[in-house]
Amino acid sequence: MIGLLILPAALLIILIFGTPLIRYIWLSFHASSVITGLVPIANKGANWQRLINDQRFWQDSFQTFRFAALSVSLELFIALAIALLLNQKWRGRNLVRAITLLPWALPTTVMALGWRWIFNTPYGPIELIVNLIGLDQFNILSNPNTAWLATVLGDVWKTTPFIALILLAGLQTIPQDLYEAFKLEGGSNKEALFKITIPMLKPYILLSILFRLAQAFGVFDLIQVMTGGGPAGSTESLAIYAYLNAMRFLDFGYSSTIMIGSFILIVFSSIFSIYLFNKFKNIQGYSR
Amino acid sequence: MKKNLSLPIIILLFWSLFPLLWQLYTSFCTPEALTHPLEIIEHRWTLENYRQILKSDPPFIRYLFNSILLGITTTLLTLVFSLPAAYGLVKIKPYKAKLIRIILFGIALFPYVLLFLALLEIARDLNIGNNILMLSIPYSALSMPLAILLLTSALKDIPSELEEAAKLEGLNLAQRLKWILIPLIAPATSSTAILVFIFSWNEYPIALTWLSNPDLLTLPVAIARIAGSSVYSVPYGAYAAATVLGALPVLLIVIIFQKQIISGLTQGAIKG
Amino acid sequence: MKPKVLFVISILISSFTFVANKSVAKTSPSKHINILMPAPFADSTKDLINKFNVENKDNIIINVTRGPLETESVSDLAISSLMLEKSPFDILLIDVTWLPKYAAAGWLSSLDKWITQEDLNKIAIGAQKGNKFKNKVYRWPFVADMGLLYWRKDLMEKPPRTNNELIKISKELIQKKKVKYGYVWQGRQYEGLSCVFLEVLYGFGGEWLDENGAIHLDKQPSINAAKWLKKLIKDGITPKAVTNYSEPESLQLFESGEVAFMRNWPYAWSELQKPSSVVRGKVGVTTMVAEIGNNPTSTLGSWGFSIIKTSKNPQDAFKVIKYLTSIKSQKHLFLKYGYTPISSEIFKDVDILKNSPIITALYKGLTVSEPRPQTPLYAQISDVLQRHLSEILTGDGEVSETMNRAHSISNQILQSAGSNK
Repeated sequence: MIGLLILPAALLIILIFGTPLIRYIWLSFHASSVITGLVPIANKGANWQRLINDQRFWQDSFQTFRFAALSVSLELFIALAIALLLNQKWRGRNLVRAITLLPWALPTTVMALGWRWIFNTPYGPIELIVNLIGLDQFNILSNPNTAWLATVLGDVWKTTPFIALILLAGLQTIPQDLYEAFKLEGGSNKEALFKITIPMLKPYILLSILFRLAQAFGVFDLIQVMTGGGPAGSTESLAIYAYLNAMRFLDFGYSSTIMIGSFILIVFSSIFSIYLFNKFKNIQGYSR
Repeated sequence: MKKNLSLPIIILLFWSLFPLLWQLYTSFCTPEALTHPLEIIEHRWTLENYRQILKSDPPFIRYLFNSILLGITTTLLTLVFSLPAAYGLVKIKPYKAKLIRIILFGIALFPYVLLFLALLEIARDLNIGNNILMLSIPYSALSMPLAILLLTSALKDIPSELEEAAKLEGLNLAQRLKWILIPLIAPATSSTAILVFIFSWNEYPIALTWLSNPDLLTLPVAIARIAGSSVYSVPYGAYAAATVLGALPVLLIVIIFQKQIISGLTQGAIKG
Repeated sequence: MKPKVLFVISILISSFTFVANKSVAKTSPSKHINILMPAPFADSTKDLINKFNVENKDNIIINVTRGPLETESVSDLAISSLMLEKSPFDILLIDVTWLPKYAAAGWLSSLDKWITQEDLNKIAIGAQKGNKFKNKVYRWPFVADMGLLYWRKDLMEKPPRTNNELIKISKELIQKKKVKYGYVWQGRQYEGLSCVFLEVLYGFGGEWLDENGAIHLDKQPSINAAKWLKKLIKDGITPKAVTNYSEPESLQLFESGEVAFMRNWPYAWSELQKPSSVVRGKVGVTTMVAEIGNNPTSTLGSWGFSIIKTSKNPQDAFKVIKYLTSIKSQKHLFLKYGYTPISSEIFKDVDILKNSPIITALYKGLTVSEPRPQTPLYAQISDVLQRHLSEILTGDGEVSETMNRAHSISNQILQSAGSNK
């Protein structure tokens, strides 16, 4: 009876998450492209060999990784500040909290083009300000060294509220008397932040990192609409590359290989970040 | 204290609102105003962008309707599957439940974008592509891991003595559900529902590949398409108008349900 | 609990099937032919299609799906519908570069049974290209499209004919503060960049992929072409922001009167004649520039109709194609929207010659136009080229080294996909 309650959900989850993975693994050992008439033909490990030698795959992995690392760390930092602000009592807090949530609730595609417009040269507000100050044009989206930073900004703007709320939840579990006791012992507000708040928030920080890292690794909508992967492929993520191979190049075998490859990278980097985090945790615990 | 906070609050508001306000401003601008932002020109303001969006074929309202319909079916379907599963998870042996919860957590982290190709094949094989309601099947499956986790943590909060006592009173499962379980987890259910709805409202890659019939597009896909639908100039004005119209429902949801959203997100954080 | 859940599920399932059935069963005495077109084509064919539907010849009703504007997004849409094997379309309006891919994927019906050599001969030379795959016709041209050089008649007497002339005139005009920039084109990393490059490449006497399937990106003309584009930006003749420009941005800048030359497609002409345009009546159109001794060449960007294999009424679909590409329709589309015709007859039409200041330029452009490499793997090799060109235009690397890299990667793709040269 109880098993039966779980079964339908389990089956649906297996259908939608499980079968694709198995299908990808199978396809990754087949050539299935326009040349084969879209019929899968076993090609041993040719796709994997191509993947290992594919500069573009590794370049995209690097790009995806640095995108994820930078946006998640910025988000944590800003979110902590927002959470600390929202955790205090002031008038109009509920309204501001609702406004803070807005970016998170809006569809990514909607704002991705908004950002493209904001960064537009020469009519976007950023270039206008730059012009008014008398500086040269930024051309942030047309420069491969800076375009990815613009995408990071778009991602940070959109997902920071999510982390801020998780951290806010964490803040609310910290008992107030802990702070009072700390102050009685002569600690300052600043010290309290590092000695009480951040250590107590650790599980929430880990949770946010895990959630956001995986999502940022799969970044797709934002990049596709904002830059399409350019300029010079500098903002292309692994998901975009997989999408291009499937929907534009019609090379399903190789696209599947890229997806399984990305999946492996995501699992490894998640495990690695947990490991790093635990190390960090121990050091902090020591100083307490 | 208050004085200290006003600057950070202003910064926060600016950070959250500026990109949106810029869209709002753009949506009322004529094309000339956009290309001459700093000069004084005659025709700066217009409603033409909105007229264009509302009169397009199919009308913009259609996409709103599609997204709302899809959001509601997805939410219902998710709850129909998740509620019993969450109840089941509370009742089975704790170590099993814990294992399942860890697996669900892992799945919830998975960047689902990577699934789009295989999901497209599933849609083809089951012949369910180009159907708005069928899209709620992958959507609800994708949001289910998180929904089950949230609902499980809410159900676990209900003291088991309460249900035991009700059982002793002779209430059967249906009655217990009606009088005890459902009222007690109603807040968690509604916040889960809103999170699922927002996910469905915002989803892009799967809608992009499953729907090719223009009457069936969801809002994110339609908006991305409007952005590239005029050859004549950069259509940012019309696009911004679409953004504003598309953002309004979300704006309402966030303002009305902010408590539920926040408790939903934070509940998940505390017990996930 | 269980019965209740089952009840809800069954309601949901039945409502699914109800809606699903409802959407499929559109009963009507007329046969519907659905066409997917990029947004601008859908808008401009509206009159023609309304007329057809009112007359309702052979009981056919045409439904047009207004796709996105961006070429690539239309392709994504078409492909996802074809991959679903549940395409709502009978006819696709496809770009010249998609044809080999779609045909190789087995998605298109050959049109050979409906057309004769005589029909083909009536098409202008440039527009005849890019409709065949493996010697079968899969596409009927609708609108020809080619790269053109737009120049400012008020700033110079005649347009430049060579690369150096273009640079010289630009520099003079910039110096005299007549314009801010000399030449604007499409430099974003996207298909348009490949088109721009191909024209410059031919202008330097080079080739991208030859008939035998060999890549030539490491050859001197290729390197020179890339260097020339880079020089334009470096010398300030082309704005730096061009590396994020596609057609609309280029047009917007040229329309503002701040540029002397623009590379664009024929559609830009009528845009530049609109009352809001600063350069209205001051613009001339000609073929691209080339190095001395080489012929100017335009990239062919034509659109044409193909019938999808799963179409239930291919015969009727072809009737629709015939109608939309008839001489009458072509004339209408040219006069009203400036769409370049495909039939030679129209370019010689006295009426048209009298009415259109650019028809001769269009014909010239069409005559010298060349399609991009015709291989099912075109998207991949174009992508490689775009990436490397974009890298050249935005970075400081050695041009020849980057082009060599583009060359060897293109070769790898051709080989690994099993297409042997």
